[in-house]
Amino acid sequence: MNPSASPGEKSRLIDIVDLWKTYAMGDSEVHALSGVNLQVRHGEYLAIMGPSGSGKSTLMNLIGCLDTPTRGTYVLNGRDVGKLDQDELARIRNREIGFVFQTFNLLARSSALANVELPLIYAGVPPGERHERAEEALRQVDLIDRARHRPNELSGGQRQRVAIARALVTRPSILLADEPTGNLDSKTSLEIMVLFERLHELGNTILVVTHEHDIAAHTARIVSIHDGRVDKDEAVRERMLVQRARA
Amino acid sequence: MNFLEGVMIALGAIRANVLRSFLTLLGIIIGTAAIISVIAVINGLNLYVKENIANFGPGVYVITKFGIITNHEQFLDALKKNRDLTAADARAIEQNCDLAERVAVEVHTTRKVSRGANEIEEVDIGGIDPGIVDIEPYEVEEGRNVNEDENTRGAAVCFIGQDIVTNLFGTIDPIGKDMRVDGREFTVVGTAKKKGSVFGQSRDNFVKVPFGTFVRIFGSRRSVNISVKAAAGVPLEESMDQARVVLRARHHLRYADADDFGIVTAEGVNDLWENLTATIFLVAVFVVGISLVVGGIVIMNIMLVSVIERTREIGVRKAIGARERDIRLQFLVESVTLSCVGGAIGVAAALALSWLIRTYSPLPASFPLWAPLLSFGICVAIGIFFGLQPARKAARLNPIEALRTE
Repeated sequence: MNPSASPGEKSRLIDIVDLWKTYAMGDSEVHALSGVNLQVRHGEYLAIMGPSGSGKSTLMNLIGCLDTPTRGTYVLNGRDVGKLDQDELARIRNREIGFVFQTFNLLARSSALANVELPLIYAGVPPGERHERAEEALRQVDLIDRARHRPNELSGGQRQRVAIARALVTRPSILLADEPTGNLDSKTSLEIMVLFERLHELGNTILVVTHEHDIAAHTARIVSIHDGRVDKDEAVRERMLVQRARA
Repeated sequence: MNFLEGVMIALGAIRANVLRSFLTLLGIIIGTAAIISVIAVINGLNLYVKENIANFGPGVYVITKFGIITNHEQFLDALKKNRDLTAADARAIEQNCDLAERVAVEVHTTRKVSRGANEIEEVDIGGIDPGIVDIEPYEVEEGRNVNEDENTRGAAVCFIGQDIVTNLFGTIDPIGKDMRVDGREFTVVGTAKKKGSVFGQSRDNFVKVPFGTFVRIFGSRRSVNISVKAAAGVPLEESMDQARVVLRARHHLRYADADDFGIVTAEGVNDLWENLTATIFLVAVFVVGISLVVGGIVIMNIMLVSVIERTREIGVRKAIGARERDIRLQFLVESVTLSCVGGAIGVAAALALSWLIRTYSPLPASFPLWAPLLSFGICVAIGIFFGLQPARKAARLNPIEALRTE
C-alpha cells in the first residue's frame, strides 16, 4: 500500500480504463467524462490540466473516491474501487488518499495538531500513536512549532502546509491536490511547490489538479483534459525544479 | 474517542455562542428545573404531612365519629348516620379488646381564655384522659401533665401550649398561676414544648384539661376521639378489627351495615395525602412534559441550522474518511450534549429553588437522587430523539456537494 515500502518497483497505482461519468439533466444526458484512460505509477508526480467544464474536477472526484463512475473501471492499488459502497469508499479515502484543497478546509475551532489528527481518528488509531504521527507529519511540513495554533492564527501558506500534513498523516498511496495554490500569492505558491517536490523525492505519489501552467510545470507529467477526454498526456521536458533553480 | 471529540465539539459550540445556546436550551432548562422542583415540593409536602399531621406514634390509631372524609356527600352521609362516640365506648374497647394496650379519650371545644386584661379568643380546649400521654406524648417544657387523680376529682387544672404562655403570662413563670377558661378559674400545672405551625396554623394555641373536668364544665354531649395503642407485636389491622367489632356490637349494627364511625391511622392519612399529591404530580409532569418537547424541538431546529452551517466541515470530514455513521454519531453526541447541558443547568436551578423553599418556607423541600438521574435520562432521550433527524441529514450529505458549499 505504501509507496515507500517498494521504492524500486514502478508498479501501477492507478489504472483507469474507459471511464464515463454521465449526469441526467432533465431529459438529456450530460457526459462529464466520456471514456478516460489514465495510468499512474507509484511515485509519479503529475498534473491534470484543463479549462473549467473540461471534466477535470469530475475526474479528480472519481480518483479521490468521492464519487463512482457510470461506466468503466478504476483500479486503485490493485483494487477495483468503482463498485464499492459508501462505507468502503470512506475507508479507501481514509487509507489511500490524501486530499489537499484550494481553500485548505481546516476545522476553524481545532488546533493545527488536532486537524492533522482527524483522519487518524476515523482510521481508529489510538490516541498516543495518533499524537506522535500527527506531530511527525507537522514536522515534515516544518510546522511543528505551530502545532497548538488555530487556523486563524496561521498564514495562508501555513494553513495549506497544515492541510498537507493532514493529507500525509495516514501515509496514503496518493496525494490529491485540487488547485493547491489557488488561494495563495506567488511567493507562497512557490513554497508549497517546493514542499511537493520534497515530498515527491521522498517517494510520495502526487497528483495536482490545476489550470495554471506555471504550477503544472513543476510536475514531471501533464495530462490535459478536454471535453471529458484525455487530450494530451506528455512528460514535462523543461521541468521547473525550484530547489535547483534557487541554488 | 470519537465520542469524546463529539462532546468537546458540542461544548465548544456552546461556548462559542453563549447567548444563543442559553436561549436554545431554555426549554430544557425550564422543563428540567420544573420537573425536579415539583418532585422536591411534593416530596417536601409528603414529609411535612408525615411529620406534622399524621404524626401518631407507631401502632396507634384513632377512632372518631367521621374518620377520613374526602368529600361533601360523604360528610353529609356520616353526619346523618354516624353516632357520637362516648367515654363508655372507650371503656368498652379497653375492657374487651386484648389487642388494645392503651385506650384514652380526647374531646375538643373552642373557648376564650384570659388572665387579667389579657385574653385570647378561640383557643382549642382539649379534655384528655391523662393516660393519653402514653399514646400521643405531649412534650413537657415545664411542670407536668394533668394526672389521674385530678381527672377523677374533676380538678380545675390545665396544661397549656406556648401561645397561651406567651400571650397570657409574658415573661412570668406560669406554673402554679391561675388563668381563666371560659370564665372559670384554672391552675396551670405544666407547659408544652413549642410545636410551631403547620400550613400557617399555630399548633401551640391549646389548653388541655382532665377529661373529668371537661365533662363537669362543658357537659358530655360531644363525640369523643378514642386513641388506641395496639398491643406490642400485634398487626395494627387485627387490633383495629377487634375494636371495630366491639363498637359495632355496642352500636347494634347488623352484618350488612357499614361502620358508623371512622378509624384514622397515620398510614391512612399518608395514603390519602400521597394519592392527592400523586395526582398533582401527574398533572405537573404532563405540563412540564410539554415544555420538554418544545425544548427538544428547539434543539432539533438548532441542530438543523448547525448541519447547514457546517456543511463544508461535513464534506471535509467525509473526504478524509468519515463514514456515515461517524457523522451521525458526531451530531447525535452533539445534540445529546446540548440537551444534557440544559438538563444540568436545570438541575442546578432546581437545587437552588428547593434550597430557597427549604430556607424561606416551612416546607422541607428536597428531591431524591433519582429525580436528577431521571431528568438526565429524559434529556438523553430528548437529545437522541430530536437529534436523530438532523444527524441523519448530515450523514447523508453528498461529500462533493458539501465540499462545494461556500
